[in-house]
Amino acid sequence: MTGKATRLGLAGGVVVVTLFGTLHGQDDWFPFGPFRMYSTRDSPHAPVTSTLMQGITSAGRRITINGTETGLRRAEVEGQLGRFEREPALLATIADAYQRRHSGARLGAVEIVVRNYDLTNGAATGHYTQKLLARWTRS
Amino acid sequence: MRWWFTPMPLGRIAALRTLAYLFIPLDVFVFTPWVRQHADISTRLYEPMVVGRLLHLPAPTHSFVLTIQWVMVVVAVIAATGRAPRILGVAVFLLYGEWMVIAMSYGKVDHDRYAYLVLLALLPTIGAARHGERETSEAAGFAVRSTQLAVVLTYFLSSWAKIRFGGWNWPTGAIFERAIVRRGTFLSNWLLHYPHVLEVGQFAMVAFELSSPLILLARSDRARYVVVAVMLGFHLMTFGALTIIFLPHLVAITAFLPLERVRPVVWVRSRVGRAVDRSPILTPTPD
Repeated sequence: MTGKATRLGLAGGVVVVTLFGTLHGQDDWFPFGPFRMYSTRDSPHAPVTSTLMQGITSAGRRITINGTETGLRRAEVEGQLGRFEREPALLATIADAYQRRHSGARLGAVEIVVRNYDLTNGAATGHYTQKLLARWTRS
Repeated sequence: MRWWFTPMPLGRIAALRTLAYLFIPLDVFVFTPWVRQHADISTRLYEPMVVGRLLHLPAPTHSFVLTIQWVMVVVAVIAATGRAPRILGVAVFLLYGEWMVIAMSYGKVDHDRYAYLVLLALLPTIGAARHGERETSEAAGFAVRSTQLAVVLTYFLSSWAKIRFGGWNWPTGAIFERAIVRRGTFLSNWLLHYPHVLEVGQFAMVAFELSSPLILLARSDRARYVVVAVMLGFHLMTFGALTIIFLPHLVAITAFLPLERVRPVVWVRSRVGRAVDRSPILTPTPD
């Protein structure tokens, strides 16, 4: 077969880049980044954190906004958490996306809160505390 | 070396083409609708990855995302018929690559499609292939073997990532506990009270991932069915516990199966033919 050497060369290259990505790469090396889903270790003695996005409707009601309501998944909100905390005005884009996906419904405010679920010796107790991380209010 | 070029039946390539390309409309509209939902998100939240920066890919605006989506779906459905396999195959690979850039550039990268991308990249390297075709080719073998290798690398290297980011004591952490707190189901929530069971599960997972290269040693059909069943079982369990399922990866896993024995066109024809024979309306008695 012609091209055997080409095929082997390319395959070898892909394998080397993939190994290098696993050793030294970061997520943005996709598709050659490390396969790091669930790769970090969570201490059995520290609380489990989970962020959520909440909004205040024009009627003043507080609602929890899930990923499909804006187009930004929870993991993506968490991935860009630093940006939202530094620049809460960015949350206006969430209100815009919500409006686009809910035939014009306007949110008066958008918040990111984090819930810390308590663990005792690695088992969830069912209790959590909540903290506000970023807030944008429509002016 | 000979392993990598083991001649494989072209029928398996035809089947993989149909499967991998028909997966695309399902992926877009059913399995991962969040990718197309990025159309509604401001480009200010787009954080280009290395590939996006190197190739100067545009920030995905609303109309850009929808254009890529429809062109990709139409091209993929045509490609699934096996027509113009090289040109359409390259087109699908490039369009799906861009689709992945749209998917992964908003703060979260998934790892469920490395092997599927390898399969998409290699399908155009083989010429025409018909369903059920028994004739073998080394090019087909290379594509099938490389996809199998990519499947194994996905498991093996995710253990490596656990050691790198989590440390050697990853298995004694509260990883599954945390995962279930965040996205547990009625099948897994009860486990929250048994952290030690979850810890055993974490050891088992690392053991499975580190021993995954053994998958490539499966030589007989029976052994291959067993390893496919083990992998499928692993992913179904994860789905039951956390509603996470590596569907594109499962498509790639079918490269381990003797798909050349599946002949959908013949099957449909025989079915339709039989139905026609039996039907009194369609076969009226001549008068």
